[in-house]
This record gives sequence, structure tokens and C-alpha cells, in this order.
Amino acid sequence: MNFKKQFKEGLLTQNPVLVQVLGMCSTMAITTSFMNGLGMGVSVLLILTASNVVISAIRKIVPDKIRIAMFIVVIAGFVTCVDLLLQAFLPSVASSLGVFIPLIVVNCIILGRAEAFSYKNGVGASLVDGICQGIGYTVVLLIMCVVRELLGAGTFGGGLLGPDGKGIQILPSQFPAGMLTLPVGGFLVLGCLIAAMQWALSRPKKNKEESK
Amino acid sequence: MSNEVMTKEKVDMDPKYIIKLTVTLFVTCVIVAGALGLVNMVTKDKIAAINWENTQNAMKAVVADPDNTEFEATDVTDAMSAAATDAGATLDSAYAVKAGGQDAGYAIKVVASGSQGNIEMMVGVDADGVVTGVSIVKNAETSGIGSKVMENQNGVLDQFQGKSAADGTLVVGSNVDAISGATVSTKGVTTGVNAALAVAGAIG
Repeated sequence: MNFKKQFKEGLLTQNPVLVQVLGMCSTMAITTSFMNGLGMGVSVLLILTASNVVISAIRKIVPDKIRIAMFIVVIAGFVTCVDLLLQAFLPSVASSLGVFIPLIVVNCIILGRAEAFSYKNGVGASLVDGICQGIGYTVVLLIMCVVRELLGAGTFGGGLLGPDGKGIQILPSQFPAGMLTLPVGGFLVLGCLIAAMQWALSRPKKNKEESK
Repeated sequence: MSNEVMTKEKVDMDPKYIIKLTVTLFVTCVIVAGALGLVNMVTKDKIAAINWENTQNAMKAVVADPDNTEFEATDVTDAMSAAATDAGATLDSAYAVKAGGQDAGYAIKVVASGSQGNIEMMVGVDADGVVTGVSIVKNAETSGIGSKVMENQNGVLDQFQGKSAADGTLVVGSNVDAISGATVSTKGVTTGVNAALAVAGAIG
């Protein structure tokens, strides 16, 4: 088990959103306020970790032909648990994320990791993979939330801080471009982030090539 | 051609293998369903309590005297549903409003379509069929545009107070003022209020 390597993969070189480009739907839709991003990120992290562990534990008894169906049953079970728990204990988060919590069932990150990693690796490694990929997802969501919220609504920490949980007003209210909180803003911010990530990832390679 | 190949493949599969697949999937489903049942048992009452509190808060926002008011769920009849449907909205539920033990009209929850999906709203109607208030329960209107209507900017929701069936059908532009840029959202709310008035008419 190589925790450091897996952590680096989850956060940077194999980041689920910026490099694997998985789970776009929820990424676009919910990254409009800080609390949304945090709630979604943590939900995905928990579900991903739990489903990774279970799938890796049962991988030897799952027949190859029906593995996708088995994965979906396991994932759907965890998603429904999280959905019910959120509705019962964090109703404000549940109502602002709405349908995107049940939709985690079909989030490609979770099925993707089940198929690509936990079906082939041990329980311990899958646990670490779930946590690392989940952190990678959450960090990107939070970056997008902060950027879109600040430039789109002029606030920081929406849903968590400030009066009525509306966030702390940083930019004067006539300044922000409301467009950024719409889906089109999500594409713009995500595009910039992916570009920045690709640039950062390709830099060390170039340096090596030059030194040769 | 491809169909033939498919059928052949199916026949080639060992019946024991098929049974194994079925049993494995079935057992997994049973285990998962059992686990969900447990979680549901823990959370069911809590979720119901939260939903009821939200509904009550929404109802309190639309009656004249929130502190002395009680609400009783009313059965939704076909006539009430039909009245809402004719007005272009869907009736969700209706509650009888009792102020100090006296019948004081109804709180009616209707769903009408806005510019970005459905708007769920609570409309209070007093015993004389006059609107006592409108509050939005759930919406997905565009933040910064339609959300102005949902947040009652410029009193756009307050203008419905005092309207009744006697005013005729409420129409944006003639007897309802829209917020500029958010006409569709305002129209959605207006449709909901029309439907609630129609439902109140169908009850009493």
C-alpha cells in the first residue's frame, strides 16, 4: 500500500474531476455556494469510500458477467442511506442539494473507481483510494464554489457563514456577474481549472525533456 | 445475424451458472434492502417531523395571526384537484386554518411551473375567499433573476394579499405587477394563486 502515491494521484495526477473528467453533471450544477460544495464533496467521499471497501471485499464472489449490476446495487444502497441521513440530520443541506444526492448513484466517479480500482485491489488499498479520490473531488468542488460564489454573487461561505447563512458579502452587490452562478459559468470555471491543471502537470515533463 | 449470435451465446451458458448469477444478485439485493430498512426506521420519524415543521412554518407565514392558529389536514377531493388543474396548477395538499378555535379559511399548497421547474407555494385563503398571504416552499428559479420573485422583492408576493375570486382570474400585466426580467416566475406564482382560489371555491 502506497498512501503517498495514491494521495498524489487522487489530488493531482489522477484527479477525478480535472484529469479523469468524471462526474461533470453534479460538478456543474451544485458548485454555486460553499456549503453545497462541501456537502456534496463529503457525501461523495463517504459513499465512494464505503462502496470501494464493500466492492473490494466481495470482489472474489461477484461473477464477472453481473459485476456492474452488483456495483450499482451496493452504490445505490449507500447513496440512499446518505440521502436519508442528510434529510434527517442536515435538512438545509439536503434541500439545497436536492436531486443531486440521489443522482450520486449514477455518478461516474464511484462506478469508475469500482470498475477501475476496487474490483482489482485489496480492501485496504480500496479504502485509501476512496478517501484520496473523494478528497480530490471535494477540493475541486470547493475551488469551483469559492470562485463562482465570489465572482457570481460576491459572497464567501454561502450556506455556512454570514447573516441567514447567505455568506459574507465581500464584493459590493452591484459588482458580481450573476452569469457565473448559472451553468455556463460552471463550464467557464471548470475549463479554466482543467487548463491550469494540464499546464501544471505537463511542466515537470517539459523540464525533464529540456534537461536531457 | 447478430440476433442469432446472441441466442447461441445464451444457450451455451451453463444453467448452473445462470442460477448462480441470479442467486448472487438476489442475495445482494436482499442484504442491501435490509440495511436500507434499518436506516429508514431510524430516520423516518425525524424526516416526517422536519417536513411537518417546514409545512407549518410556510402556513404560518400566510395567515393573519400566526401565534393563535392551528392547522388541520383536509382530505383532497377530486373536485378540488380538478379546480386546481383547470387553473393550470397541481394541488398538493390543503389544511383547514383554525384561529382561536374558529374556522378561518384554508392554507392550500399548490405546485405551478415557473421558468426553471416547479414552484411549490403555500397560499392562505380566509373564510371569505380572500388571499391572506403567499409563501414559496420550494423553487429552482434562476438565482438573481427569478429568485427576486421568490424572495418577495418589491413586495411582489404581498400584492396578492386581499385578492379574491371576485377580482376574476389574476393576470400578470393587468391586475398583477411582474418584476422586470422575471415575468415567467411571476406568472408561475400567479397561476398558483389562481389555482388556490379555485380550490378554496371548490371546498366551500
